[in-house]
Amino acid sequence: MFRPTRRAALLGSLATPFLARTALAQAKEPIRLGTLTPLTGAGGSYGPAMVKAARAVADAINAAGGVNGRRIELQSEDDETNPDAGVRAARKLIDVGKVSAILGTWASAVTTAVAPLCWESRTMLFTVSGADSITKLPHNGYIIRTQPNTELQSMRAASYLAEGGAKRVFALSAQTPFAVDSYNRLAAVLKERGSEAVGDVVYDASKTSFRSEVDQALRAKPDALFLNGYTPDVTVILRELYRAGYEGKKFTFGYAANAKMLESLPPEVTEGLISFSPSPDPGSPAYAAVKQALGTDTPDTYSCQIHDHVSLVALAVAKAGDASGAAIHDAVRTISQGGGAKIGSALDGLKALAAGQDVNYEGASGPCDFTERGDIEGCKFRFEQVRAGKITLLSVS
Amino acid sequence: MLADALQLLLNGLMAGAVLAVPAIGFTAIYAVLRFPNFAVGGMATVGAYAGWVANTRLGWPAPAALAVAFAAGAAAGLASDRVALRALRPSRGGAGGALAAAIASVALNIVIENAVRFVWGNDPRGYDLPVYRDWRMMGLRAGPQQLENAALAAAAMAAVFLFLGFTRTGRMMRAVADNPQLASLKGIDAGRVAALATGLGMGLAGFGGMLIGLDTSIDPLTGFRVMLSVFAAAVVGGLGSVPGAVLGAFVVGVGEELSLLALPPSYRTAVGFAAILLVLSFRPRGLLGERAY
Repeated sequence: MFRPTRRAALLGSLATPFLARTALAQAKEPIRLGTLTPLTGAGGSYGPAMVKAARAVADAINAAGGVNGRRIELQSEDDETNPDAGVRAARKLIDVGKVSAILGTWASAVTTAVAPLCWESRTMLFTVSGADSITKLPHNGYIIRTQPNTELQSMRAASYLAEGGAKRVFALSAQTPFAVDSYNRLAAVLKERGSEAVGDVVYDASKTSFRSEVDQALRAKPDALFLNGYTPDVTVILRELYRAGYEGKKFTFGYAANAKMLESLPPEVTEGLISFSPSPDPGSPAYAAVKQALGTDTPDTYSCQIHDHVSLVALAVAKAGDASGAAIHDAVRTISQGGGAKIGSALDGLKALAAGQDVNYEGASGPCDFTERGDIEGCKFRFEQVRAGKITLLSVS
Repeated sequence: MLADALQLLLNGLMAGAVLAVPAIGFTAIYAVLRFPNFAVGGMATVGAYAGWVANTRLGWPAPAALAVAFAAGAAAGLASDRVALRALRPSRGGAGGALAAAIASVALNIVIENAVRFVWGNDPRGYDLPVYRDWRMMGLRAGPQQLENAALAAAAMAAVFLFLGFTRTGRMMRAVADNPQLASLKGIDAGRVAALATGLGMGLAGFGGMLIGLDTSIDPLTGFRVMLSVFAAAVVGGLGSVPGAVLGAFVVGVGEELSLLALPPSYRTAVGFAAILLVLSFRPRGLLGERAY
């Protein structure tokens, strides 16, 4: 039987604050996440805005009391659009920063290099890279991507070109993990639709001139060119095409033909260039939040996607009641898809989860429903054309 | 096939002429200071941006902007040399020898690249120059801008050769490159010549950086991209030899283009390395040895 003595009372009074403090510390342990985006290198136009967008969601969640009372702590590293640098930075995030998820890897080469570190350490990897090969890696569910893969993109590109009447399409591709995949897919779809892929050149994007590559492309007498590169090299190639007197269709990815590229080239060089990109969902509340965070009316798709990455992680952690990479891995599809209430922001979702409801997050980048392999199930594309140096919208479909 | 080869040869000669300018700068610094100064990459970027400011903000035409690019490369080269490299140079008894200075120059390169990025950002910039259609003759094509660049590169090279061959200061530089002890016995101030070599070399790097940008567009990696080819050109021609650097630049430039007859373009970078390997296997001191002039 317990008899209160002075000694017991003394021990108890000493121990109580100690116990309370450890309990409190456990409750306040932050949720550690890392952004790994290209702040420099060929993707350097996108990384800084991505970090800003990610931070804005985390700040909003923290300001509203965090996830189950735990703050989100965001660590930001630069992958330099370079696999070596990406691996170093990922090591730092995982080993030193103890993050449970890495968000926002951009270039496919970087994502491919970083992915094994993630799945081996049970760290979730949320990426915006498109190469098909990424989700075919043996990642055991530790990769989720919000960017349509190359297969989906190339099919849309090919059908758009064929519908536009292109008969002979040539691809000029930077050396990336998706260069060959996307050409093969393009060729297959063009063939189905009665057009033809007449060849491709895979070039080294680190060179300063691409005259000979352009010569090689024009020798095939194409009526449409698919420019499958990044901004710096596509900029140079557009100049070369103008100089060489090429008058056919020019088609490229939206991430290559951005506003900054148009500023650096005379309008006659970019005239008629068609670009396409996965379209964010302009009607969603999450999209409005990204617009506000970045102070622009037209946030890029990657900022929208990383906004969704942070939101998905926050909801998965809330659902699982655990912030480990494995817990996020198990819980992410229970809040991103299924029959739960459709919610458009992490804050609404956290409230609904706290009230015991099921949720289905629909983000700034689209519905955010994932296949078993980690690819998105579908999304819209936005087709734009450069006219007199300005980007004009052709269609969203 | 023959027309293709001729077109590639032409492209290679143009590329080689532009590459030769920073390669001369690199080799001139090596001749006098006896270490490979990889900061030429950074200075090429500095020159390209300085020329861009003069061209787009002040509205100066390309040749005047090129003078600015030279001056900016030289000034930035001298300043950064004083801060970061001078104490490490082998001639000043730097404990790590040429290697320490070379590694420091790689680091300097990264610092400069990021300083440029800090001011102007990552996005590509273009010079305010009209883009012309190419001229076509006998199945070959060449751009007016390309030809102008090759001519400007040739003018810069001619100026360097005249300077080294016929001026007192140029002869002083060659004397130090040939034999530093003998030169100092003759009363040549080694410090002044070192500064002169750095200024000239880095100025040429800045000039070359802008030449590359004129034909394409510039971003903070402009200099870094060309550094490997510059290094290959200097080594192939013979480190420390100015005519060697010119010859090496043409070998690398033409080699990279002609390789396209047999190899896919994604292997172009390998050509520079293959040229180094091949030449050094048979002529360890490069094609022209290391005579400065």
